Amino acid sequence: MKLEMITINFTINGENQQLDIPAGMTALELIRDKLELKGTKEGCGIGECGACTIIVDGRAVNACLMFAAQLDGREISTVESLDQADELDPIQEAFAKQHAVQCGFCTPGLLMSTHALLTEKSNPDRSEIVKAISGNLCRCTGYHSIIAAIEDAAKPQPKEDK
Amino acid sequence: MFDVAYIRPNNLSEALDFLNAKGAESKILAGGTDIMVDLRSGTLNTRHLLDVSRLDDIKKIEVLDGKLSIGAAVTIAELLESETIAASAPALRRAADKFASKQIRNVATIGGNVAHCSPCGDTIPPLLIHQAQAVVANPQGQRNVTIEEMASGPYHCSLHPNELITHFILEPKPPEVDFADFQKIGRRQELAIARMSMAAMASKEDDDSISFLRFALGSCTPTPHRFYEIEDFLMGKIPTEDVLWQAGKILAEKMLDITGRRPSAIYKEPAIQGLFMRMMSPLIQ
Repeated sequence: MKLEMITINFTINGENQQLDIPAGMTALELIRDKLELKGTKEGCGIGECGACTIIVDGRAVNACLMFAAQLDGREISTVESLDQADELDPIQEAFAKQHAVQCGFCTPGLLMSTHALLTEKSNPDRSEIVKAISGNLCRCTGYHSIIAAIEDAAKPQPKEDK
Repeated sequence: MFDVAYIRPNNLSEALDFLNAKGAESKILAGGTDIMVDLRSGTLNTRHLLDVSRLDDIKKIEVLDGKLSIGAAVTIAELLESETIAASAPALRRAADKFASKQIRNVATIGGNVAHCSPCGDTIPPLLIHQAQAVVANPQGQRNVTIEEMASGPYHCSLHPNELITHFILEPKPPEVDFADFQKIGRRQELAIARMSMAAMASKEDDDSISFLRFALGSCTPTPHRFYEIEDFLMGKIPTEDVLWQAGKILAEKMLDITGRRPSAIYKEPAIQGLFMRMMSPLIQ
């Protein structure tokens, strides 16, 4: 079977890329298998669980429901973009502090949904938080610690003297 | 990974040329949220994907000559963010708000939701109460297709392979209408496929009697419908709790007339009445 190939240009985590890929490749396959960014997880593969959430042009989307071809010309962020220069993002810190991670499989997706939410609105209320992450399933925590972490991340953090 | 070709036309005429040549072995791709699921499950097999999601001509929301025009490639998130939709089609805004998840709302389109012809498409009952027509482009020109005509059965779109929905034309909410809503029941709050959905808009006279009503039901019948019996029954009546329960009962009976009394009727009959009451009770004063 010879797969149809296409060329796409995009920016991922701040880096420009031009790649020849099979036209029928999913965005998730591109990210995990071709670019080897393993932070983005495949859970259900049909858009129900949100483990593959990435940000495309500022909006949270399911990488499993997108073709890589649809990313042409777009700006993409994956969970790897949060952790810059070995410093945790405030969202990651809040998740750690609130013990919002158990098995961790849903965490990358939740971090990205949170990142998209806080970029759109820096001070969401609880109901807005719940709505923003309702496309992300977590089977461990029962969500309370996750919501608490997002509330913490949304609060302006007092600067600590170092 | 699927064995398909991907084509992204630069304009509408390129898209139509492609469909005219290869429509029968192509699938129109907008958000892709249904296509990807269907490819994965094996229910869809296609040679070409024609990505229309970036055609600017079919991404506008505007009021033209007193009608509301919504481009087929407008995403559900864009419906939700539009002030024009909030003012002219508030029940559609409600449906957009309850649609799937944030991630899916950000890419799924109104054209895709309609063309997929699922009995459960959340945008369909609101489109029905706005007497919406789909404007369909083809090599000969264009034609209008009502939302009722769009689905010839569940998941069966009546459009020809060389046709493409460009936009929808809706009757905007009449100025006197101050009640509009969309409600659904699913297995969970978010992301659940509607087991039952309905949309309505209404207004009342000074004496509280109903002077305007449009009502449509989704998910319960093979294709969504306006339910004129409910509209006729309630027109001119003062909506008391008792009157609304009677209307809900008529609705349940009419639904069972269409579907037959299946095992699920034992749940659906009271549930549809309950959902109808939940939606319409703000009309009681």
